[in-house]
Amino acid sequence: MKKKKKQNRQRILIIAIGVIILVSILSVTLNEDKKASSFSSLVKDSVLNISKVVLYPFRFVINKVEDYNNLADIREKYQELLSSTDRISSLEAENIELRKQIDALKDELNITYTINDYEFLNATVISRNIAYWYNTITIDKGSFNGIKKDMVVVNSQGLIGKIVSVSTFTSDVRLLTTGDTANKISVRITDGITSVNGLISGYDYGTNTLTAEGISNTERVNAGDYVYTSGLGGIYPSGILIGFVREINTDEYDLAKIINVEPVCDFNDINYVAVLKRKENNDD
Amino acid sequence: MISVIIYTILSFLLDNLISCYRMFSITNPSIFSTIYTVISLVIISSYFDNNKKLIYITIILGILFDIIYTNTFILNIVLFLLIVYIIKEIDNYIPNNIFTINIKAIIAVFIYHIVTYIILLLSHYGSYPIKLLGMILIRSIIMTIIYTSISYILFKKIYFKVYDKKIK
Repeated sequence: MKKKKKQNRQRILIIAIGVIILVSILSVTLNEDKKASSFSSLVKDSVLNISKVVLYPFRFVINKVEDYNNLADIREKYQELLSSTDRISSLEAENIELRKQIDALKDELNITYTINDYEFLNATVISRNIAYWYNTITIDKGSFNGIKKDMVVVNSQGLIGKIVSVSTFTSDVRLLTTGDTANKISVRITDGITSVNGLISGYDYGTNTLTAEGISNTERVNAGDYVYTSGLGGIYPSGILIGFVREINTDEYDLAKIINVEPVCDFNDINYVAVLKRKENNDD
Repeated sequence: MISVIIYTILSFLLDNLISCYRMFSITNPSIFSTIYTVISLVIISSYFDNNKKLIYITIILGILFDIIYTNTFILNIVLFLLIVYIIKEIDNYIPNNIFTINIKAIIAVFIYHIVTYIILLLSHYGSYPIKLLGMILIRSIIMTIIYTSISYILFKKIYFKVYDKKIK
């Protein structure tokens, strides 16, 4: 009887140790900030490129169906575009003037990089990570195209995330929706006249909003204010739109503001992205 | 054996194809989302007499899933082996029919999501609310039933009419 009990205890102990070791190994392997080995890089590139070819007919049909659905409101969009084309020439002139002013101010303030100092490398999303609950996407550009870890990824609307892993022909992008507390993003919240700095610290799945913290309660922030990257921290260049202020709350001590930011990007519908690459002549 | 391999490869590719489209997203999981590779493991596991071959296929699928979809090392190998072990254990008590195979597939998909959720929380990868897990589990049921039923009928009616034997 005693022997049986002892055996059972030993078994439970072995299982517990096994589970602890397994979870530890998995925790280490879940860390995406590592370089892909040449074997995994080769396997990933080959399978994803083969699947791209095999799945092309299916993608083609699905895209055609989506295009057909979009046709419904094309007349409305066309009218909107017609009215906005009238403003393009005046905006172009304003843009040239603003660029001149930015260059002059950059020289004066000794600022090294802004969004204008980057070139865009367009890429297509070829896979969306299932196990991370769709919070990582794979794009069809890799180290062969000059992609490096920590490069910033945007789409036509605004900031999406950053590169976390690179293989020869593909790269993984960690989306802002991950709520990665280890990599907070420094942001500037502005109404066009005044601005305050804060940090994007997480993502709320209930309200589908990003959470901005580190803003004193005495600072003035209004719903609808723009939220841009501030350029502080070194990874994200300044001036990339993240979203708009939706709701302003205070922390439990009424000392700091906690702001819900509505992202401009639709993270559920990302098909094409652009990776920001520093222009060659600016490389150190 | 070849048809089993083709079926698992197709399911594996389906995971890639389906994940890219709008309706399969984290903030609003669709009623059509599921994990096709896991379902394929449930379907094929009952057709193997030779467990060694099944384990090899499971490990290869796990490695591919790890490298291509999740950028991890052993996460999916362990998960897939665990799922196959549980399904094999259930097979000893409950024979397969269209109803029980669907229950097994739902259990397998639930195990995958729940274990992944626990590991992601323990490894501090992200903070996901438990409500979201519940929503993903509930919304994965419909597509799991559809894909499992189609796969089961195809295997039962076509494959076994031709070969009428288990894989040795």
